[in-house]
Parts: sequence; structure tokens; C-alpha cells
Amino acid sequence: MIDFELTTADKEILALAHRQAEIGRRYAEYYDKHEDELPPAEFPEASGLDNPVSLAEEAADGSSGPRILHSLVMSEIYWGGMALHRGKWGLGNTVLKTVATPEQIEKWKNHTIAIAITEPGAGSDPANIRTTATFDRETGEWVINGEKSFISQAQSADAAMVFSRFVSPDGSRGMTTFLVEKGTPGFSVGPQLKKLGIRSHDTCNLLFDNCRIPEFNHIKGDFKSTMSVFNDSRPMVGAMALGVARAALDFTREKLGERGIKISYRGGLRSRSAVADRFIRLEAAYEAALLTVLRSKWLEQRNAAPKVEASIAKAAGGKAARKITQSCIEILGPEAVSEEHLLDRCFRDGRIFDIYEGAGEIQRLIIARAILGYTARDLR
Amino acid sequence: MISFEPTEEQKLAQSMVQELAGSSLRAAAREADDHAAIPASILAEIWSTGIVQSQAASDSDGGSRSAILNALLIEELAVADAALAIAAAAPMGFASAIATLGSEAQKKSLLPLFTGEKYHCAGVAIMEPDFLFDVSAIRASAIKTHNGYRLSGKKGMVPLANQCSHFLVVAECEGAADAFIVERGAKGVAVGGKQPNIGLGALQMANVSFTDVALESGARLGGASRCDVQRIIDSARTALAAIMTGISRAVFEFVMPYTKERVVHGDALAKKQVIAFRLADMRIETDAMRWMTWKAASILEHGGDATRQAQLAYSYAVEQAMWIADEGVQMLGGHGYLRDNPVEMWYRNARTVSVMEGAVGV
Repeated sequence: MIDFELTTADKEILALAHRQAEIGRRYAEYYDKHEDELPPAEFPEASGLDNPVSLAEEAADGSSGPRILHSLVMSEIYWGGMALHRGKWGLGNTVLKTVATPEQIEKWKNHTIAIAITEPGAGSDPANIRTTATFDRETGEWVINGEKSFISQAQSADAAMVFSRFVSPDGSRGMTTFLVEKGTPGFSVGPQLKKLGIRSHDTCNLLFDNCRIPEFNHIKGDFKSTMSVFNDSRPMVGAMALGVARAALDFTREKLGERGIKISYRGGLRSRSAVADRFIRLEAAYEAALLTVLRSKWLEQRNAAPKVEASIAKAAGGKAARKITQSCIEILGPEAVSEEHLLDRCFRDGRIFDIYEGAGEIQRLIIARAILGYTARDLR
Repeated sequence: MISFEPTEEQKLAQSMVQELAGSSLRAAAREADDHAAIPASILAEIWSTGIVQSQAASDSDGGSRSAILNALLIEELAVADAALAIAAAAPMGFASAIATLGSEAQKKSLLPLFTGEKYHCAGVAIMEPDFLFDVSAIRASAIKTHNGYRLSGKKGMVPLANQCSHFLVVAECEGAADAFIVERGAKGVAVGGKQPNIGLGALQMANVSFTDVALESGARLGGASRCDVQRIIDSARTALAAIMTGISRAVFEFVMPYTKERVVHGDALAKKQVIAFRLADMRIETDAMRWMTWKAASILEHGGDATRQAQLAYSYAVEQAMWIADEGVQMLGGHGYLRDNPVEMWYRNARTVSVMEGAVGV
């Protein structure tokens, strides 16, 4: 039956996540101003506290489901700006689990693996990557050269899942993935990137300079299966974007309230001030995008992660976060740009979600190809 | 628990209405707009869906009234034609207001009107024919008299006003909005001539004026206690959002194949990124609009306070539906401008529906 009510079990988990997010917010402010410091794996306040992500993933009967809850928990975490329990796994782990052999999965089952696709010259178009692995027949090793950029969990991860071109002993070429462990000679991590926002996030470039790895580290997956890991992360990014957007909306509503402006939903357009009307439209954009995230996660719970709906959720969430974090500042006026207040960080953090993990344009390409029945060659 | 799953019965009803809408209703739309009239046979087809009659089903005989189902079905009708959707949604709005907010006496006397063999219409009259009209400042007013009320005012954009047996008139009474059931034939009620508008011509919308109309105390919706007029507005906004979702879907489904066929500069129009991206955005926004409408309808169905969600769903649909209809015309170029194709009509209907507040309900 069509329903949008959270269950009691849902609310309990989300309330717990929210309480932790309130604590996380203070750390978010600190690390926003100390971008070279890596936040700890767990904050002192977290010890003894349940990890809301784990609670969501274990969600039993009586909840709206683990995938839905996970996305709502992520939204809460991003509302605060800093998770008290840092996620152990990276997207590289998902790739491993999806395409690697049982032996490979066993070997690296406890490693945090960052995913390394993007390069300075290749973001939206992974086909443009230049990192190349050449096979050395004498030593039976692959020799990797290249640079990866904007790599999340770069410093904290134990290894990187590196997307690379390859040149085989028989001369064949293609694209593949390699797992490279930290400490491998020739593999270095650059300094923390200087970003507009999400400054607390561990983001660096990775350098591969004649980095030698054994054949065992060759993770042979077909490109399509490997890229499919993004089908469940896309709506997640939408949820994260909306967490930041909601933080901006909550702050703005509070400040409006302090000046005696209470938003009424009863009247029509002509009954409200420009400020109230703008705010209502931002709330509508938020709610609409959130529903596309829930739709995608609901479908995922019933079946496999849906491609089109996942891209819809990512595109809608990313767009809403941009619009909302920008517009709340306009509504509240010049005081809102002060670094002393929340909207500064929301504005800067909010801008990333339509860019990373598949820019909004790429999501629209995916959606358009699907609805038009076009291949990548038909529609570029 | 969060779920997007319609029940089996809802899916069945949806596919039945979708089939009817796609065949006879869509085919009748242009002529109905051109002639500013809905043929009796089409009203009969709409009536045959049972969607209006369900509002009158009482809880005791396994009443099937469901705001969610109504939203699903209104969207399907609106995909065929917004005016024909309103031909259903207008009496639905009236009947569901009586069923949810009326006194036992009112339910008993009025709901049976909607259970007969033939199409029956009644109107929810909220909008007034003044520039800058807003639901928060209703000018029509009802003054308490010794045995009832005296109603005066003017209402506008009443669909099929000439065919309505009754009007549910929202008027200010003793400082707040209230709703009154008025027979079309009552003394002082004058249905004006049809007011041609940009769109929805088939509905023969008219102004209805009320001049010192004497009403019994039983005419006040809810009887002794003032009814929750906001709920009527919430229900209207939800139905309008469903209609706008339907119009949007009609545009999207129509222009997509056109853009694949049309060759410009050596390739299909759909292969140009700007067009492809606009289609993607149409898909994104039509989906989002639908979920927003469903959420408002589900709150109404469970008897909750739907005001915020109905407002958000409505405002969102207003913006997105107008954008979608506008881009739909653009994608067809000159052909989009000709009345040979339906997009120009959908563009007109989108603008017309998106300024309405009232007239329909879920």
C-alpha cells in the first residue's frame, strides 16, 4: 500500500542518528577549518554508541527497510556534517566484492579500499584515463604509471582500486582494475586537496611511478559490472546532498522564526511575501528530491538497484542542494555569509553533490539514453 | 512504512482507466476543446469508470473512497485530457467534501446524487473572478440570519456550472472561511455565460453569482460545527497536482518519439544533448511531481494534516508542469505551435490548471 509514514523503528534509528549528527556538527565546524588534519576513525563521543549505519543495515521487520533507512541515516549524518563513526569501507570494497575472485576477496577483506578512477584529465569520461599498466614478462608484474585525482579516503585507506589502461604481454589493450596496497614502492599519496567545501573529507591525488604489482592484484571485472557499483551509491549521494540542504532549510526556518516570520502553507501565492514563497519552493524542491531517493531505494529493496531511478535521485538531490544552499543565503541576507554561521559551510559543502560520483550531466545522459533507447554511441 | 506499491485493486483500476483514457478520451479531447463542449457519450464513459461514484460509497457498505486511488486515476485521466479529468475531479471534489466533512443529514441527502446511472456534476466554488484572488482572502460572505445564512458573492471558473446541481461555496462567515451547500436553482443564484479561457474550453467554465441567497442552517457544511475548510483546499491542491502530473506525462510521452524521428542537421533531434537533457529533466520532474502528489493524497487518506504537503506538491507541480509544457512546445518547433498537434493545447491547459485553486478534489 502506498505510504510515506516512517515506522516507530525507523524513527528510533533516525532519532539516534540525529542526536549523533548534532554532536558531529561541532566536529564538522572544526575540521572545516583544519583541512589538513584527518579526523579520527571514531570520535570519543561515539564509544558505546551504536553506529546508526549498522542499525539501518540490520533493520528488521517493522522498519521501512535497510536500504531506505541507510539513505535516511546518511542524510542525517550529512545534516550534521561529520559522522561519529567513520565508514570503514570504500567504493573500492564494493568493486572487490562485485567482480573479484574469492581468493582476492579473502586476501583484502579487512582492507579499506578507496576507488581510484578520476584523473586530472578524465572525470566524467573514464574512457579518457591515461594511467597505464604494462606487463613485465620477466618479473610477472604489472608496472603502473599515472596520476589519480580527487580520490576520497586517499590518506586513510589501506589500498586503492585503480582503474587503468593495460597493455598485455600479447599486445592486447583495454581497461581494467588493479588493487594497489599502501606501502607499495612507486605508489604515493599527495597532500590533502584544497577544496571549496567538504574540507573535512580526506581527498588527495595518488601518484603511480613505475609502481610494480603482482598479477594476483589484477582485478578482472568487465567495465559494466564494475561501474554497476554506482547504482546504489548514486541515490545515497542524493540523500547526502539533501542532508546538507535540510540543514540549510532548518537554519533558515529558525532565523525566520526569530524575526517573527512563520511560514504558512494555507494560503496561495498572493497571500505570502517573496521570502515565504521562496522558502516554500525550496522546501518543495527538497521534499520532491527526497521522494526520488526513497523511490530508488524502495525499488532496490525489492529487486536490484534500478539504473534510471538511481540517476534520477542523484540528479534531483544534487540540483536541490545547489539551489537550496544558495537561496537560503539570499533569503536571510548579508549576515548569512558570515563564517560564524552554518549557511557558509552548507553553501560550500552543498556544491559538490552535483559534481562528484557522476555529475548531474552524466546522470541526465544515463536517464536520456535509457528513456530514448539509445546507446552511448547514439547519444554522447 | 515507506512504500510506493499500489494495491492490486488500485493497479487494476489504474490500468482500466488508462485504457479508456488512451482510447476514447484522448480522441475526444481536441474536438471538445474546439467546440467548448463535452459530448454526453464521453461524460458517460467517464461515469462508467466509477471513479466519482466511489466517493459516495459509504463506509458501512465497504466504502472504497481512497484519496490515493483518486490521485492515481485523476493522473490517468489527465494524461488523456485535463478538461476531461476535471469533468471527473469536479464532482469528485464535491462528493468527497460531503463524505469527509458533511453532517450525517448532508451525506444522506447529497451522496446518492452520485450513485445513479448518469453523469452528475456539482461544483466546489472557491475561486473568485478578481485579479489577485487568494484563498486566504475570500470575499464571498455569509451572514448569519435567524434561521440560517444569507450568502452573497461571486465565484469564478466553475466547471460545467450549468450542469451542476449544487455548489459547495466557500465564503467568509463570522471572521473565518466556511463552506455552504447551495442548490443551483436557489433564488439569487445566477450562472453566468461561459467564460472562454486560455485552456479547458470543454468545461464551459462560468462565473456564478450569489445575491442574498437565503440558506437554511443545514446548508453549512458539517452542520452545527464549522468544517475544516482548509481540508477542501488541501484536497483541491492535491487533485490539481495529479492533473498537472498527467499533463506533464502527456507532453513527455508525446514529444519523445517525435524527437527520435525528427532529423535536424543530419541526426535525430533527440541525439542533441540539450534536447536529450530536457527529456531527462521531464522524466525526473514528472516522477517527482507524482510522488509529491501521492504523499499528499496518502496523508489525506489517513486523515492527517495534509496542508503543508498539499501546498508543496501543488507549488512544485505548478512550476514543473509549466516548464515541461513550455519545453514540449519548443521541441516540436513550428509544429508545436499548430493546433494540428496536441502540445499547444497542453501548454494552454497547463497554464490554466496551474492557476486554479479549488474546483476539484481527491
